[in-house]
Amino acid sequence: MHIGLIAEGGYPFVSGDAGLWCDRLVRGLGQHEFDIYALSRSERQETEGWVPLPPQVNRVRTAPLWTVEDDGMGYGRRARRRFTECYGELVAVLCAGSAIDGAGPSEDPSATEADRFGNALYGLAELARDAGGLVGALRSEAAVRALERACRARGATSAAREARVPDLLAVAAHLERALRPLSLDWYEDDGLGSVDLCHATSGGTAALPGLLAHHFCDVPLLLTEYGVRLRTHYLAATESSPAVRALLAAFHGRLAAETYTRATLITPGNSHARRWQERCGADREKLRTVYPGMDAARFAEVGEAPDCADPDTLVWVGRVEPAKDLVSLLHAFAEVRKEEPKARLRIVGTPSGPEGAAYLGHCKALAVQLFPDEAEGPHTVGDNPVSFEEIGGPEIPALADAYASGAVTVLSSVVEGFPIGLVEAMLCGRATVSTDVGAVVEVIGGTGLVVPPRNPRALAEACVALLRDPERRERLGAAARARALELFTVEQNVAAFHGIYLEIVSRTPVRRVVLDEAGAPLPFAVPAEAHVPGRWTGRTARVVARGGPARPTEAPVRATSLPATEGAR
Amino acid sequence: MSGLGGLDRPGAPAGPGAWDERRQEWPEAEPHPRESGAGAPGTAAGADELSARVDGVVDGVGESSVSSARVGGAGESSTRVGGADKPCTPAREPTAVGPRPASPRRTGADPVKALMHRHRDLCERAVDPLEIAAGLEAHGVTDRTAARFLHRDVFSLAEEIYARVPRDSEKPPGGPLLTTPRARADWLLLTLLPGALCAAVVTALHLTHGQSRVIAAAAGALAVALALRAALARGPLATTDRTNPTATRTSWLIAYALLGDGLLRAAMTGGPDTLPTGTADGPWPFTTAPVLALTLSCAPAAWCAHLLAVRARRKLSASRGLAEFATSVKPLLLGTFVLYLGALTALLTLTTTALDEPAAYPQTLTLGALLLLARLLTTHGFTHAPALVLTATASAEATALVTLFAARLPGCAWLATPVQALIDTWGPAAVPTLACGAGALTLLLHATRTLTRASAHATRDQPW
Repeated sequence: MHIGLIAEGGYPFVSGDAGLWCDRLVRGLGQHEFDIYALSRSERQETEGWVPLPPQVNRVRTAPLWTVEDDGMGYGRRARRRFTECYGELVAVLCAGSAIDGAGPSEDPSATEADRFGNALYGLAELARDAGGLVGALRSEAAVRALERACRARGATSAAREARVPDLLAVAAHLERALRPLSLDWYEDDGLGSVDLCHATSGGTAALPGLLAHHFCDVPLLLTEYGVRLRTHYLAATESSPAVRALLAAFHGRLAAETYTRATLITPGNSHARRWQERCGADREKLRTVYPGMDAARFAEVGEAPDCADPDTLVWVGRVEPAKDLVSLLHAFAEVRKEEPKARLRIVGTPSGPEGAAYLGHCKALAVQLFPDEAEGPHTVGDNPVSFEEIGGPEIPALADAYASGAVTVLSSVVEGFPIGLVEAMLCGRATVSTDVGAVVEVIGGTGLVVPPRNPRALAEACVALLRDPERRERLGAAARARALELFTVEQNVAAFHGIYLEIVSRTPVRRVVLDEAGAPLPFAVPAEAHVPGRWTGRTARVVARGGPARPTEAPVRATSLPATEGAR
Repeated sequence: MSGLGGLDRPGAPAGPGAWDERRQEWPEAEPHPRESGAGAPGTAAGADELSARVDGVVDGVGESSVSSARVGGAGESSTRVGGADKPCTPAREPTAVGPRPASPRRTGADPVKALMHRHRDLCERAVDPLEIAAGLEAHGVTDRTAARFLHRDVFSLAEEIYARVPRDSEKPPGGPLLTTPRARADWLLLTLLPGALCAAVVTALHLTHGQSRVIAAAAGALAVALALRAALARGPLATTDRTNPTATRTSWLIAYALLGDGLLRAAMTGGPDTLPTGTADGPWPFTTAPVLALTLSCAPAAWCAHLLAVRARRKLSASRGLAEFATSVKPLLLGTFVLYLGALTALLTLTTTALDEPAAYPQTLTLGALLLLARLLTTHGFTHAPALVLTATASAEATALVTLFAARLPGCAWLATPVQALIDTWGPAAVPTLACGAGALTLLLHATRTLTRASAHATRDQPW
């Protein structure tokens, strides 16, 4: 199977933030061919190069999002009118309000608006494909004027009506950036048109090429979102004026809704993402939760070895930042010490950013205040029962050793997405005490103790309970490890995506018409055997996608590969 | 469900030991995550709390939690609401550990109001309920917290908050002022550099003779060119767009201002017989005063551009509509332009008096106007028109010269007639004046249309 993997700012760049799972996915599915379409976020990222790619990657096409060359093409009268119409329609929808304003997505007016948004978006994409020069047009005064007209039109929301000139400019600039993927030349038959399946590795901008490939070439789209883009947008955009935020929120909401509607399947990374997607209009039947995979091999030794850890030690592992609520952990530990005077706490982690460093200093000061240094006897040098350490030191050379050093792993966050540290502790076979935040309950699933966040006393009670009962610790740890091995391994992740690929291709195969030399359609040119492994038909057939609305069939192109799906792997 | 309801009654608080008994049953009774989806968290937490309270009926708890996970739907929400105020209770109730009996938390009649007060920034800022939901979640509010407020999930809680936030429409409409570019010492000093260097070169030309004067002239030209380049590389006259470089055309126009009039005059009389000597007298004279005035005017030009940028940004943040902005910026643009011309005139008067050269106001002023407008347009991203107009002006001047020389070829005397007539009527200054004047006028008209657009004054590539 030929898969187009669309990544934004991650794979295959070295400094990509979500590159790891893409890399594991591509490496894990050697029986498929991959084309990678990558959008880079910064110049630095591009100059730093790519990670080494496995042989199943046929090719990589990259495009920058941080800069764009204006091809300087001015529009003729007709193209300008087309642009003004499409863009005006797009911004009119945005000014009419957010997609998910209380009403369900199934409601009629909302559906019409979504249709208008989609049509305007595809209109702009078609314009970019036919005439080019969309970047210049999106930056032009015509765009700003269209935006102003839309904001002043009747039916615009009150926030949009209050937009002033700087707001208009900011919105136009943001839209220009967000719509840059429309100007790419990826949607030809030798690009995304030739793949059997588009896999967008995140929502938002990365999903745009997939949407357009679906629109132009009828390629099914699979959307994977480990973090919901719309939510990220809400959290990131807090500086601008209300009008800008309202319009941009409407844009991102509409884009998300359009993506969820067009996608064949959507794979959220946890139930939190899933709830957001459902809320933004994703059909429940399309959603398949695929948990992120973790490399279990690193923790195998610790996980399978008999528990040789100090039975009185609690461990906290993670990046030090205020959201982790270490203060609450220290207070909880003070309670623990009242019950179990021999207990020790190891805090393993590096601060993230200056804020994290300040927080770490604060926590260290608090630890010194709460717990005096203590020694075993009158003649030994004492130390603090709370130690702050970093991975890579002499005592903790690797991450797994951090978990191995304690009997109980504690997670005290008040805010958490998908708790990777918790999964690591589970893989290490540790009993855990965590706060009930984010996807913690979903991950732990009963194989560890869960307490409410910001509740040091409950945390302390749970810790004491585990410290006093080694048998129970062992049982919980084994159960946690079994659960993690079943749900959160790379193999599980890859196998899930393999199944999803097969499901999509079997349900919505790309229909391609094979043309003979004279350009006439060749009946039975793609026999049923073409769907068994290997290349049966050679490379002489000419293939064209059918079904793209604006695509005449008299433009045949060479097939890059016929659908050689894998039946045997 | 009924089992859960029964278990949920306040009973004898149990020690943490109860957890253990249940955990023995848990792994095999664990709901599959795919099926449980959103339901699992709530029920798992619910089961935790329950098990902390119930000692004897352990097996029943395990089973009922699983069944509730399977059932989901309406039953699930009722479970949550039933256990709504639980998350903090088991922590406070157990007497086995806690040294003091927990006092009930003070909650007002309207807990949502307290929540709104705690997150009032978020609530006032939010443009839709989802923003409130995202912000609440970032502050650790989960569906289980929302259940405490009798809501099914964070989204519906956020909707209630969004609906309840008072939105007064008489808020002052003035948004945050746009950051205006600030005058900085580096470009301020750099814009003075070309003028200073040019003055030094002119002095050197006056003080040297023969070979050393040629060397001084060549070195001076190079130094001034480099200084101009440096001065235009930063500050308000800097441009990021490198698609249409105009350096060659600009150099040609300045060179013409320096040598052109003399050459034209010499060509009329059959010359030039010698190369220019670098002085204002002689057969092919240097007219250094205009060039000196132009290089000196770099500083006022930068100041004018800076003024335009700052004022335009202010007008941008003050105006409500695009048309309003255009009408308010047009006088500003023209005023800036006139200001620069005034400064240039003053400088020119100064230099002609100092150097004791014939005044050359028309051609210098038009050239200055042309160069300023071209630079302003380029700086604001309109590179096409300036490049075109500068090319046209430079070719017009070159054509005038070429026709005079081509007319010396046999049978081509008619070629010189138009230029000859022009020079006879208004003198040799008419050629650059007409060429530059036409160019400057074109660019001025173009600028009043393009530089009054709001999009011209937007900063590119960075969000506000």
